[in-house]
Amino acid sequence: MNLLKIAWRNLWRNRRRTIITASSILFAVFFVILMRSFQLGTYGHMIKLSIESYMGFLQVQHEDYLDDMTIDNSFESNIELIGQLDKMPGIKAVVPRLETFALASTGDQTKGVAVVGVDPGRELNLSNPNGRLVQYRVTPAAIEKLKEYGLPEKLLKKLSVLKNSSFVSSDGLRAGIKMSDTEAEKYLPVILEQCSFNNNPLVTGDDGVLVSDRLAKFLQLTLGDTLILMGQGYQGATAAGLYPVRGIIKIPAPDLDNKLIYMDINKARELYNLEGRVTSIAINLHDNSDQNMLKTKNKILAMVGNDHKTVKTWKEFNKVLLQQIQSDNQSGKLILGLLYFIVFFGIFGTVLMMIHERKREFGILVSIGMKRYKLAVITMFEMMFMGLIGVFSGIVLSLPLLYLGHEYPIRFTGDMARIMEDMGFDAVMPLEWVDMYVLWQGLIVAFMVILSCLYPLRKVFSLKEVEALRA
Amino acid sequence: MSVIDIKNVVKIYNDSEVKVHAVNGISLTIDEGEFTAIVGPSGSGKTTLLNMLGGLDHPTAGEIYVGGTNIGTLKGSKLIDFRLHNIGFVFQSYNLIPVLTAKENVEFIMQMQKVPSKIREARTRELLTQVGLGDRLDSRPAKLSGGQQQRVAVARALASKPKYILADEPTANLDSKSTENLLDIMEKLNREEKITFIFSTHDARVMKKARRVITVEDGKVIRDERKTN
Ligand SMILES: Nc1ncnc2c1ncn2[C@@H]1O[C@H](COP(=O)(O)OP(=O)(O)OP(=O)(O)O)[C@@H](O)[C@H]1O
Ligand SMILES: [Mg+2]
Repeated sequence: MNLLKIAWRNLWRNRRRTIITASSILFAVFFVILMRSFQLGTYGHMIKLSIESYMGFLQVQHEDYLDDMTIDNSFESNIELIGQLDKMPGIKAVVPRLETFALASTGDQTKGVAVVGVDPGRELNLSNPNGRLVQYRVTPAAIEKLKEYGLPEKLLKKLSVLKNSSFVSSDGLRAGIKMSDTEAEKYLPVILEQCSFNNNPLVTGDDGVLVSDRLAKFLQLTLGDTLILMGQGYQGATAAGLYPVRGIIKIPAPDLDNKLIYMDINKARELYNLEGRVTSIAINLHDNSDQNMLKTKNKILAMVGNDHKTVKTWKEFNKVLLQQIQSDNQSGKLILGLLYFIVFFGIFGTVLMMIHERKREFGILVSIGMKRYKLAVITMFEMMFMGLIGVFSGIVLSLPLLYLGHEYPIRFTGDMARIMEDMGFDAVMPLEWVDMYVLWQGLIVAFMVILSCLYPLRKVFSLKEVEALRA
Repeated sequence: MSVIDIKNVVKIYNDSEVKVHAVNGISLTIDEGEFTAIVGPSGSGKTTLLNMLGGLDHPTAGEIYVGGTNIGTLKGSKLIDFRLHNIGFVFQSYNLIPVLTAKENVEFIMQMQKVPSKIREARTRELLTQVGLGDRLDSRPAKLSGGQQQRVAVARALASKPKYILADEPTANLDSKSTENLLDIMEKLNREEKITFIFSTHDARVMKKARRVITVEDGKVIRDERKTN
């Protein structure tokens, strides 16, 4: 009879208690995995939104740019450098940019804005502003028209809540109105028709600009209006120009949506007197692991030389996001700790009870010649089995949810969405698919089992035969 | 030839306010092949004496020699190993590991002694047949009657080929038929295989079967009778 077999059979002596203890482990693991998955999924999404589809995982910058983000800390970029970067293996996108500030004015209104000069062709691979053009807008005129058309009162009410909202896709508009299938079938085409919004993309060498939705509303701009941009050019030169509005774009990050203007990079260079210069070259990678990011950073560093240029990872140039993730991660781990604390006491109590109940049996076993450590091993195996059953079923139970939440992220609508957007989040809740973190839960519970066995097992080692026999 | 030499053994419990002289100066010699009952009123010190003979408890004073070894000087895993190889135990009740079958309960002890599995299996079968349970090899204790469980315990105690078997009131929880049956088996093993048995009892019928009856009172031997048959 090996000890494992005895432990396994012992496990089922008190079937109900085993099931209860294993279930408590199961639920803890289940919730922990779900919570972790949600956290990691959210971080992934945040990184995707602001790093992967805007800033890039790496940036080539002037060495002083991070400390002082002005165009005076720009650098000369040329076709050779871009070409060399393009050719480096593992690099997905190379996107030169000229980012700075300006005062935007329409005569009546003036506002400080962020100006991004881009190469429209290359920008397709990163922030792709042309893909964010507003396609539909619920204008007051459109609502009037739809009223004449005989739209039901209920729908009109929902539409008026969305007055002046913009959407980049028909799905977005439909989700915004929260239409039922039958309503959509009947009325969506006419709503789309009335709300459709004509927009033009930014092309290479374009004279015009793309204006973010909220900014456009603030400045009361419509297509074809002219915008005055004023600012300070390279080394103190004055910069001013007139730009027609080509299109209006909607940015998922609300703070950016309040202030963003895209223009052709060469036009921006003309405006700011910055011929041939950029403030950054954003780079995206095929493999976004920290390890690869650092490796590529060093390769690029070696390539650009020390011509006052440097290469930064997103963790260096977006410390705010990094800290936001880290602090959320800390508080998340605190909750995990609490859950595991409960698991710990669950197991602890079970072991204690078990050892108490079997005192006489242990006494007999030691009397007839069994070493105490073997009893400890059996008890430990028993608790390990219990832990494994709990962990394993917890993982299995969480898998379908992880899969669903990963493949079909929950998208908030209505007030919840607005609250999240006001806080600067995109209103989606994606879940992270299975990864190392799932395995970690197993290891942590195993560790908990060992930890919670320590004290009770001391009792086994100090067991006095005569006393145990009288139990 | 003597198996156990007990010399002036004293056991004092002083964990309560009054000191209890549970065993108060006992000297005895147990010879090979004895079938000995220890009797006496409740609280007279029978269990205390047997526990010390089994190396489960240490005497406060005096020595107990088993085959030349003073077992009072053994400690820890040395003592456990000594018990495993030299002493067989039958307790009053719940002797067996509940999750193991009769066969496994007997085999288990030989496994701890590292007996090769072939020999182990054959001996297990033989022993359980000897105690009349050749047809219950695969039953767990819960499926056996109290008497059957005690017989498995006897088989287990024999399995390790001990120098002697100690049984503290082995029949206390059995009805008269099972009591007689168990004693017959013990007696038969004693006669045919020269197994030394030392058991305590309150039961007059059990006493009658013994060939030597040691009576204790207040921790002292007051009578030591041998029957010649
Ligand atoms: N662990 C202990 N602590 C204190 N006193 C004890 C302890 N064990 C036994 N005693 C005392 O020692 C004396 C002898 O007890 P023991 O159990 O040996 O008697 P016994 O002859 O086996 O009695 P019974 O026939 O009831 O089983 C009793 O007075 C008992 O109270
Ligand atoms: Mg007793």
